[in-house]
Amino acid sequence: MSSVPRTIDPFQLELLKSCFDTIADDMALTLMRTAHSGIVRDSLDFSTALLDAGGLTLAQGICTPMHMGSFHDAMRKLISRYEGRIDPGDVFIFNDPYAADGQHLPDIYITTPVFTEENRSAEPRLAAWATTVAHHSDVGGIVAGSNALGAEEIFQEGLRLPIVKFIAAGEPNRALWDVIALNVRTPDKVMGDLQAQLAACRSGEREMLELFARYGVDTVLDYGTHLQDYAERLTRAEISEFPDGVYEFTDHIEGLGEEPELVVLKARVTVAGEDVAIDWTGTSDQIKGGINPTFPFTKASCYAALRSLMVSDIPNCHGFTVPIEVTAPKGSLVNPVFPSPCGARGITGYRIIDCLFGALAKALPDRVTADTAGGSTLPTIAGYENGKAFVFCETFMGTWGGTSEHDGQQGVPHMGANQSNVSIEMIESEYPIRINEYGMLADTGGAGRHRGGLGLVREYEILSAEAVLNVRSDKRRFPPHGLFGGRSGSPSWNYVNPGRSDRVLPVLMTEVEKLKRGDVFRHEMSGGGGYGDPLEREPEDVLRDIIEEKVTPAHAERAYGVVLAGDGEPGTWSVDLPATRRLRAEMRETAASITPAAAD
Amino acid sequence: MPASPATVTRAAADIGGTFTDVAVLTPDGRLATRKLPSTPENYSDAVIKGVRSLLEELGSPPGALEELLHGCTVATNAILEGKGAPTALLTTRGFRDVLELRRVRVPNLYEPLYERPPPLVPRQLRFEIGERTGPRGEVLLPLDETGVRAAAERIRAAGIGAVAVCYLHSFANPDHERRTGEILREMLPGAFISLSVDVLPQKLEYERTSTTVINAYVGPPVEHYVRSMVSQVEGAGIGGRLMVMQSSGGILDADAVVANPARIVECGPAAGVIGAQHFAARAGFDNLITLDMGGTTAKASLIEAGRVLFADEYEVGGGMSSRSALMGGGGYALKLPVIDISEVGAGGGSIAWLDKAGSLKVGPESAGAVPGPACYDTGNDEPTVTDANVVLGYLNPEALAGGTVPVRAGRAHEAVASRLAEPLGRGVVETAFGIHTVANANMMKAVKAVTTYRGRDPRDFTLVAFGGSGGVHAVDLARVLQVRRVVLPVAAGVFSALGLLFSNLEMNETVPFLHLADEAPLDEAERRYAALADRIAAVVGGPREEIRFTRHADARFAGQAYELTVPFGGGGEPGANGPGSKAGRGAGMRDAVAAGGPADGRLDAQAVAELCARFEAEHLARYGHAFSGEFPVEIVNLRLVGTRRPAGIIEPAPFDPASRTGPDARRGVCFGPASGLVDTPVIGRGRLGPEPRTGPFVIEEYEGTCVIPPDCTAHLDRLGNVIIELPAAG
Repeated sequence: MSSVPRTIDPFQLELLKSCFDTIADDMALTLMRTAHSGIVRDSLDFSTALLDAGGLTLAQGICTPMHMGSFHDAMRKLISRYEGRIDPGDVFIFNDPYAADGQHLPDIYITTPVFTEENRSAEPRLAAWATTVAHHSDVGGIVAGSNALGAEEIFQEGLRLPIVKFIAAGEPNRALWDVIALNVRTPDKVMGDLQAQLAACRSGEREMLELFARYGVDTVLDYGTHLQDYAERLTRAEISEFPDGVYEFTDHIEGLGEEPELVVLKARVTVAGEDVAIDWTGTSDQIKGGINPTFPFTKASCYAALRSLMVSDIPNCHGFTVPIEVTAPKGSLVNPVFPSPCGARGITGYRIIDCLFGALAKALPDRVTADTAGGSTLPTIAGYENGKAFVFCETFMGTWGGTSEHDGQQGVPHMGANQSNVSIEMIESEYPIRINEYGMLADTGGAGRHRGGLGLVREYEILSAEAVLNVRSDKRRFPPHGLFGGRSGSPSWNYVNPGRSDRVLPVLMTEVEKLKRGDVFRHEMSGGGGYGDPLEREPEDVLRDIIEEKVTPAHAERAYGVVLAGDGEPGTWSVDLPATRRLRAEMRETAASITPAAAD
Repeated sequence: MPASPATVTRAAADIGGTFTDVAVLTPDGRLATRKLPSTPENYSDAVIKGVRSLLEELGSPPGALEELLHGCTVATNAILEGKGAPTALLTTRGFRDVLELRRVRVPNLYEPLYERPPPLVPRQLRFEIGERTGPRGEVLLPLDETGVRAAAERIRAAGIGAVAVCYLHSFANPDHERRTGEILREMLPGAFISLSVDVLPQKLEYERTSTTVINAYVGPPVEHYVRSMVSQVEGAGIGGRLMVMQSSGGILDADAVVANPARIVECGPAAGVIGAQHFAARAGFDNLITLDMGGTTAKASLIEAGRVLFADEYEVGGGMSSRSALMGGGGYALKLPVIDISEVGAGGGSIAWLDKAGSLKVGPESAGAVPGPACYDTGNDEPTVTDANVVLGYLNPEALAGGTVPVRAGRAHEAVASRLAEPLGRGVVETAFGIHTVANANMMKAVKAVTTYRGRDPRDFTLVAFGGSGGVHAVDLARVLQVRRVVLPVAAGVFSALGLLFSNLEMNETVPFLHLADEAPLDEAERRYAALADRIAAVVGGPREEIRFTRHADARFAGQAYELTVPFGGGGEPGANGPGSKAGRGAGMRDAVAAGGPADGRLDAQAVAELCARFEAEHLARYGHAFSGEFPVEIVNLRLVGTRRPAGIIEPAPFDPASRTGPDARRGVCFGPASGLVDTPVIGRGRLGPEPRTGPFVIEEYEGTCVIPPDCTAHLDRLGNVIIELPAAG
């Protein structure tokens, strides 16, 4: 066990760490409670962070793991560009992935420098930053919601903001505010959310100043540095428990449009002592479509995956990232160059995490889940109602694979983004949309000793005269894979007017689908992968699944070799153990257990 | 003490996991208490035994009791242990999984092995009914009554005795739910039926469904418990109407509780907060942070301008209720009024350990009461917070709890030394002080969750500490929060029982009322309030003119999803009579109050303007900004609280210093990493007088220990509260 250097008071360190954490969480709460768009206030697609004067994260609110470690590059750029020109009362804004090392255009950063007031005679000193990033409902571009999968260059994705002063020494940059308001489809929501971000930054600034007053600026900043060292030591201690070795995995995104070209992600993870190196050589080249994650986002997704496989309560600060090296060829999907579009890059972030879970399953079989539904499905429905534009967008999640301990969970977010669903009653009262169904689909979880979580369904009916639909989804050709003998979950589907026209939409739409009043869009999410041999699943667990209508009797026979006794009435069911033993023996012999019914 | 004959009319019995606390005030205001082991096989045993023995000691006839005030764990245990009534749920077709899928969010990041608690109604008992109402209450599909009857048949066949009904948008048009309720009551006589329009007529289908399901799930066990408590107490010859504490801090009689069982889920911690509120109010403090530090957790709550505050989001069974919304998703949503109490794993039994980088952590693992801290010498070798407090000289090195729990200080030293001090390369006392500091850092998080998360500054508040370990940590926690005054009340060990003695009858009801404030139909609002007042009066009971009604509205800026509750109508000025600081902005205003009816004055344009001003002031206080002028204020719900003060409430008499002269000893006590052990007097509460006494000293008594460091002063007020003043920070 490494330990805290003798010169540092470890108890003071713990105290100040708690202080940093509560400030960042407090910022998150303020942002959530005052936000206006559904994607921020309900889906909670945002993050808050407290950073030191050099832009290193001290604490991040309990928000979006895929944002962790993503502030650093942007802040470094800001600080070097504005050196000597950062003043009290400034607020910076930016979103551009290339000019500002941002993530994608809808993610707008708002950041405030915190200046100390310790010595009234001296010049105020820049001592920290309070920073937020929030996914805005729209920033212009060819598709409402600004996540056009079909964009071929970033100029098509919307308003690009370099690092600029949103407020300069207390004076709002009105021209900029007006430009933003005019270039977005939902100015009320965007401006309301920006105000919420400002409020969160002010809350962080206020509390940080109180901390300085209480403990002294130098002490707080020194312990900020100690915190980074501590997080790094703790991370190294965790990594040293990973078995050394090289672990590889290949995962996929199924490609864009009606004739998709397969996108390959290839991870090579090298664990050596206290260090981890992740290399993406072999991954597809950047593509002409909005799913290229800029390299800061690729790194952040890698950090989120590794953090999920560690058991210690490692602080969400920069020090955690130090022992983790991420490399990717320039111009590849995960390290694109200008002007590659990035609007819908979240899907690649999710897949990076899935791919690393796949690779490290061999090293850490008791810490991973079998494959998940692959992150949020992102439907955007937009149009005009009573002359006013509406943009509905939600992050629809989610289902996990089985684990060494239990069945896959459903109604859970992806490991990369701890987001919420949007209330049906809220949607129906604010948008010309009706939700016809929201629930779980039987027989969709991958069979396994521990079954994968069930796939979910959500059906949207259009109530406006016209609307356009754009969908980001995945996992149809490559449904969530099982582990250690577990089977894949069912694939995902996008239908328009099921039972009527039965049109099937591609997983990643490059062109919007035009819908009219009464049309229905139905998304069936994939099911989670199974964990372990389904023929080893306890027959009683299969029976419980049947009783709970999560598995049908026919599927129980085919996938688990479990045969029911009883007269066919649900209340009378029990497991026919001799028949089950016979069937399972047969199935083992022919190795004929099959994938879930929906995949047939 | 010789018992003087006195007729006691009200007794309180609070049941906790380990102990049942009983308290009475005699007619001359003397407090008498009892602490007995709880009797889970039949909780009324301990209640009857405790009440009887107290009354016997006081010479009061048991039959003279008029009210027995009660706090119980039956509802919360039913949920935590999965032992509620088997329950069925009727939902709109297509939506039976809303209950199970919840809001998707999980309470902890980075936990692939996380497992959700199972839904309270399994999938096969969630029945989908053909019917649909739209967001404006318009019927899109008529109710399929045949489907309801078919579901009722299956529910009967399965022998299910509790049914919840929650249809989409039922708050906008209750007809389908009401008709379903009629059919169910007709077909399932004796079943416990909960309709969402009765339990929580508010938007958000998951929260409404979950709350309605909880109501049905705990309904039968609560009814059984309350009825059996009533009959057993009566059978034992103890008179008096049974009154039960709600999670909101108000009490209701047995019949009202049976009809509203989900309202008592968090009544235990609520009663403690009410106790602190009333004791501190009598001592002249009405802006308080309450800290209840027990064996396993520490709980913090906020009282502002003398009023408790309710949680915005609450979940039961989700582990510790800390950090509210950000940590949500782990339990079952319950959207009824619950006092906002934040909890962290830092109690006397919390274990101190080193993480993989050699940093000291405290909790959440706890040695609990059994085996307990290492110094109990009953099988646990891990150092706990209590062990650190023994090493530091805060706690008696030979016995705790007035000599009833023997301890071996040597075991505490050994545990701290071998597990922590040696690996850290630091002294035992220094390390023990580190444990104390880290435990305080954890408790700080609980306090921040109810203060800074609401835009309140802890420095504007007085810290009132109770529970077994509260007095040991209060001053150092206050330092971290920059709080300047700490109150350690008398009888802090039975605070929940005390709270029951002071609580009011209370009912809180809401009705949806979605209108922009400027366009709200005020006549309609008056009618809605009047209807709520009728409902409340029927539940609270007693003469209507004795009920004090306060009107509030849940409001937001149009476009937001979260509301703030502010007074509506009845005068009052925004920001007036607050505690004189930013903590008071917004919430320190006068309630809209009226006796007998909803309000004296009618709602008018002036009332709406005041509502908007109050809302904007509260928004500014909480979030540091307001969208004044940019977004209109929107009313979402009307909310009415009716309270009635029970007739028999007795004021506590002045403290008798001669009753607690306590020990007169000295021991070495540590007041900081540099101080080492300082020879310090140990005294009883009664030896402290009205004049400030400068520390250091330690007050030791049965209920707990108070530590007063060298730079603080403390005095006793007339009620026996220890008031500690801290020096200015710096």
